Amino acid sequence: MDITGADFIRGMALLGAGLAMGLGAIGPGVGEGFAAGKACEAIGRKPEEAGLLTRTMLVGQAVSESTGIYSLVVALLLMFVVK
Amino acid sequence: MKELGKIWTWVLDVGGYHLVFNVSTIIMTLIVMGFLILFAHLATKNKSLIPSTPQIIGELFVANFWKLTVDALGEDMAKTYFPLICALFMFLWCCNVMGIIPGLEEPTKDLNTPLGLGIMGFVIAHYAGIKTKGFKKYIKEYFEPIFFMMPLNVVGELAKVVSISFRLYGNIMGGSIIILVVSYLVYDVIIPPLLYGFFGLFVGTVQAFVFTMLTLVYISVQVR
Repeated sequence: MDITGADFIRGMALLGAGLAMGLGAIGPGVGEGFAAGKACEAIGRKPEEAGLLTRTMLVGQAVSESTGIYSLVVALLLMFVVK
Repeated sequence: MKELGKIWTWVLDVGGYHLVFNVSTIIMTLIVMGFLILFAHLATKNKSLIPSTPQIIGELFVANFWKLTVDALGEDMAKTYFPLICALFMFLWCCNVMGIIPGLEEPTKDLNTPLGLGIMGFVIAHYAGIKTKGFKKYIKEYFEPIFFMMPLNVVGELAKVVSISFRLYGNIMGGSIIILVVSYLVYDVIIPPLLYGFFGLFVGTVQAFVFTMLTLVYISVQVR
């Protein structure tokens, strides 16, 4: 069985999609865990501020998640657009 | 699984132009707009001291976002920009949460909607900056701290639009694709409703709030 150029491009695009998603998920994972840990510490110190801290934590996590989302968009482009 | 990431389009060739309309996005946006107009009508129909249910919901939206807007912009400017912020949140929330109703799909799943809203926020923020600071001072902002930092500042401003719109689009699109794939794997048993609860309600609400807050922050950065 011969591997043509189109097959090679398709395979490399799928490999790139997997790499983009896997490597791109490291940063947001570490960052969000760090934010959640710090929020837990702060709630332990000041339990009466739990509502405000949780809201701020969620918004911060949603913002820091965006790099992971970019890698998801790149992975989707590689999977569905590169033919 | 074949229809993954596919959008219904309607192609029109008029006078040498090749026009493509994303039909489902347009229809869903119109449904959201109709729903919001209906909600506004119900909330303000018979205002009284003992409020009806739509009036309570409307008052909750207005009171909370008024506080946030005043914190970011101050009392005077908040009067101008508060309707924009509140309406933006209500529209985005309805758009993001819409996917949990069978047969409907989120307009924000299509990149055109978030990108349009992001460009709108960008234009409004810069208009507010020019209006409050004056054109000369606005231009001078780009040449800080040193004059050759100008290209970097311009790219930074443009990157804001890309980041804000791709964040919303990626979250909603990724959520709906995960729901589709997992539903296919488990033959629609037990797990999909939980996923709809997480990706539809929770992520949709958080992302609508983040988009609104970032638009507000961009306006307040330009105004300062």
